[in-house]
Amino acid sequence: MVSPGTRTWSIGEALTAPFRRLSSDQQRWLILTLVTIAAVAFPLIDRNEGDIDAAANATAFAVLALGLNIVVGLAGLLDLGYAAFFAIGAYFYGVTSSWQFHPEWASFWEPLRWLGVVVHYHANGEDVVHFTLSFWIAMPLAALVAAFFGVLFGAPTLRLRGDYLAIVTLGFGEIVPIVVRNWPTLTNGAMGLNGVQAPSLFGYSFGVSSSPYYYLGVALIAFLIFVSSRLKDSRVGRAWMAIREDEIAAGAMGVNRVKLKLLAFAVGAGFAGATGTFYVAKLQTATPDMFMFPVSVMILVMIVLGGMGSVYGVVLAAVILQLLQSWFLQDLSGWLHVLGRAVGNDWMQQIDLTQSIELIFGIILVLMMLYRRQGLIPATRATKALTLEQQTALPSRGTIDVDLRVVAPGELKPGTAMLEVEKLLKTFGGITAVKDVDLRVEPGSIVALIGPNGSGKTTLFNLITGMNAPDRGRISLLGEDITGLPSHVIVERGIARTFQNLRLFSNMTVLENILVGQHSRTKTGAVGAVLHTHAMLAEERETREHAIEILGIFGNRLMPRLNQVAKELSYANRRRLEIARALASRPKILLLDEPTAGMNPAETIELANQIKSLRGMGLTVFLIEHKLNVVNELADKILVLDHGEKIAEGTAEQVHARPEVLEAYLGRKVAHA
Amino acid sequence: MTFQDVLIQQVINGVSLGAIYSLLALGFTMVYGIIELINFAHFNVFMVGSFIAMYILEALGLNGQNVILTGFPLVGVLAVALVGTMLLSGALGVLIERTALRPLRGVPGTAAMITTIGVSYILFNIVLLTIGADAFNFPNPMPKVRWGEAGVVLQLREVLVWVVAIILMVCLNFFVRHTKMGKAMQATAQDQEAARMMGVEVDRVVMITFFLGSALAGAAGLIFGLYYNYTNFAIGYTAGLRAFTAAVLGGIGNIPGAMVGGVIIGLIESLGGQLLEVRWTDVIIFSVLVLVLVFRPTGLFGRITVTKS
Repeated sequence: MVSPGTRTWSIGEALTAPFRRLSSDQQRWLILTLVTIAAVAFPLIDRNEGDIDAAANATAFAVLALGLNIVVGLAGLLDLGYAAFFAIGAYFYGVTSSWQFHPEWASFWEPLRWLGVVVHYHANGEDVVHFTLSFWIAMPLAALVAAFFGVLFGAPTLRLRGDYLAIVTLGFGEIVPIVVRNWPTLTNGAMGLNGVQAPSLFGYSFGVSSSPYYYLGVALIAFLIFVSSRLKDSRVGRAWMAIREDEIAAGAMGVNRVKLKLLAFAVGAGFAGATGTFYVAKLQTATPDMFMFPVSVMILVMIVLGGMGSVYGVVLAAVILQLLQSWFLQDLSGWLHVLGRAVGNDWMQQIDLTQSIELIFGIILVLMMLYRRQGLIPATRATKALTLEQQTALPSRGTIDVDLRVVAPGELKPGTAMLEVEKLLKTFGGITAVKDVDLRVEPGSIVALIGPNGSGKTTLFNLITGMNAPDRGRISLLGEDITGLPSHVIVERGIARTFQNLRLFSNMTVLENILVGQHSRTKTGAVGAVLHTHAMLAEERETREHAIEILGIFGNRLMPRLNQVAKELSYANRRRLEIARALASRPKILLLDEPTAGMNPAETIELANQIKSLRGMGLTVFLIEHKLNVVNELADKILVLDHGEKIAEGTAEQVHARPEVLEAYLGRKVAHA
Repeated sequence: MTFQDVLIQQVINGVSLGAIYSLLALGFTMVYGIIELINFAHFNVFMVGSFIAMYILEALGLNGQNVILTGFPLVGVLAVALVGTMLLSGALGVLIERTALRPLRGVPGTAAMITTIGVSYILFNIVLLTIGADAFNFPNPMPKVRWGEAGVVLQLREVLVWVVAIILMVCLNFFVRHTKMGKAMQATAQDQEAARMMGVEVDRVVMITFFLGSALAGAAGLIFGLYYNYTNFAIGYTAGLRAFTAAVLGGIGNIPGAMVGGVIIGLIESLGGQLLEVRWTDVIIFSVLVLVLVFRPTGLFGRITVTKS
């Protein structure tokens, strides 16, 4: 019996009690400080040059992993040729700082000599250019060059499905070492570059000892952790994650997918390029074999092991794998050799476990994907469960009145429709999904679109929101032609939508989902996000305030669940969140595709009231709905679609009286004889 | 040899290479058609298949190129090796699907693709660590029959490659078009949900698809060995990448497209190697891949995909 008030403590609990008493922020700072101290002190304590050298190499791979994490982890783009960008950076510095490439002198080089980038070498009957680009200049330049190649090769494929990117990057990763090998004048081919200049800082040359490289590597890691964390928690990072979670929905929320994917690809490639200069400076040589497919896979393994998108997890995994490779497997082999001698087993005496590292990589990839996809340190933190009070609080219905009016009533030209569709046509193969449809949605009204399954309702929505391009016809918003615009531009113009089958960003929180909804209304770019500029911070604060305001429309349905991951919400709450996300984009007109599908009667009534109140707040609503009681209550006007054609239009009474509508729903009467 | 002779000779070589790529490309395209997955494990199922074939031929008493057979014994030995290799490779494919991929069905994003990379790596390294990095002399019982003189030469091995490839492709085509399971595969490729509602056991269809794709990869492994007289742990990577390019070229998910794409890639390899230099072959093939993706992402005989929302 444990008497009340006392607790039994396990040893582990007792030891960690002081730590657990700290707030999670304090815990993080404490760990970070301790790790930093350990990282700085390591070469001073372990004075073994071999260990420091291994650690310095490990830093390069940790930086690479952080770079690839942006591409694979945040943006969800599987890049299997990442080592190619590493190679580009390495050879950029290798060639511009060694004796490998020395063209004949020409006056063309004079300005560069003046800048100190090249030396005019004139001796032994030679009159040539010798490149002596400083490491500190080469590093950012290499990043730019690698980023350029990233854009060049990313651009053709980033428009396509993600799978193609994997294969194209795989090919690219294969090609770059081949080009390097086949271009000996520039790269010395398979023999490798020699005599790459060591960096120097304030007159101190890094030389061949490992410690300065180790510290430089640690500094790079710290810089990249800083950059990645800030990017991740910004408009740009959220857009990347949205693309990763659901590309179509991201587009529908105003994310320019091609542009942001290219940005992720370029940033990742740039980091690899910068790391390349570091690595080649440290080794003072470069061969094509250093940048083959297994390197790309190793970096991918680090990300998978650490957790996709998890900044600290990736660094931890890089350290673990490096320890495994350069220390643990060697020691384990040594122990097995001793054991083998003891028991007289030949096989055990010869075993070399370091050769099985790639096998271990393969096993890690498969096991992590099967059993722990979130990695060692998951990127999305576990959310605290709601308190009993929060869970049982009475749901209020539309408590807060928000002004959703985007267009002031005075600005509206009389007679202009909010949304007008003329003679819209769309065929898929031989099927006409939407056939010459005309419709008008007046400002401030609720219009419902009904029709049997397969009558073209969702296709019509897809055409209006730019998911598909119509074959013919015209769509205009407040008199402006928007036909054929891409979906992210259409949101910006003021049409937001929800989806029939829910397309939330499942692994992002409720708040993050709504923040992505505001993508088209915000401006922060990658640079602003990293620098935390004044404008960025102000914008961030504003978007968060607006998000809370929007959530208020659903009372306390979503508000207490702000930091919960979307996939953990109940079905009805996920539907509400999708509407909130669309509202966050400050639309002029909201398109709802079966908003009450799957909801129980009480939830349906609640939501119907909220939709009605949206009109009161100044919004125009166009919805697809099957529940006729909802439609009859809400809609100012009903449109009926059958086989892609509009067969009726009018108020509820008018529409229900039409024989065509009855026929569409109940079937054709048998002709009387 | 005139230039024309050289070209014809390279076309013969290219078509033979192409036959191997076609068989491999079929596996990529079938799996992609059914579950929209790029199966990187396929690269090394092919490699393992060539080792299986080697061991079967050695078990049949063949050793290097010392034993030469003709007539019925030759056809018999090759048929046994082909069927055995295909069954075992197919079983390997099913094993991979069941253990590593089925649990991930329905998981969005890159998880399944990353798993196939892991599986590919495991196969590759198991062979490397147990069998070793040597190039193995592949048993070949075919007599050195050749047609033609100094100019253009057609060898028996090339005829064999063509015949095997054509037979397998005709059988596959028949299976997909005219059997119940083949129709179920077509239905699943079009719309998995609808197929399920019509009573198609999707899991079974996926399993059969992996079996067929991997069996064809095994067949490709056998004829690779017979064609080049060697096999090695590293053959999967390059051949796999080229075969995948072939699948994209023919329109991924499109079975006849993969066959034609394979032959085109084989021709690009042999003629490109002749006209430029062999060391640039991969650069040329990769450029083809990128150009196809830029200008005709659905391939030469593409499959129209409808955006679902």
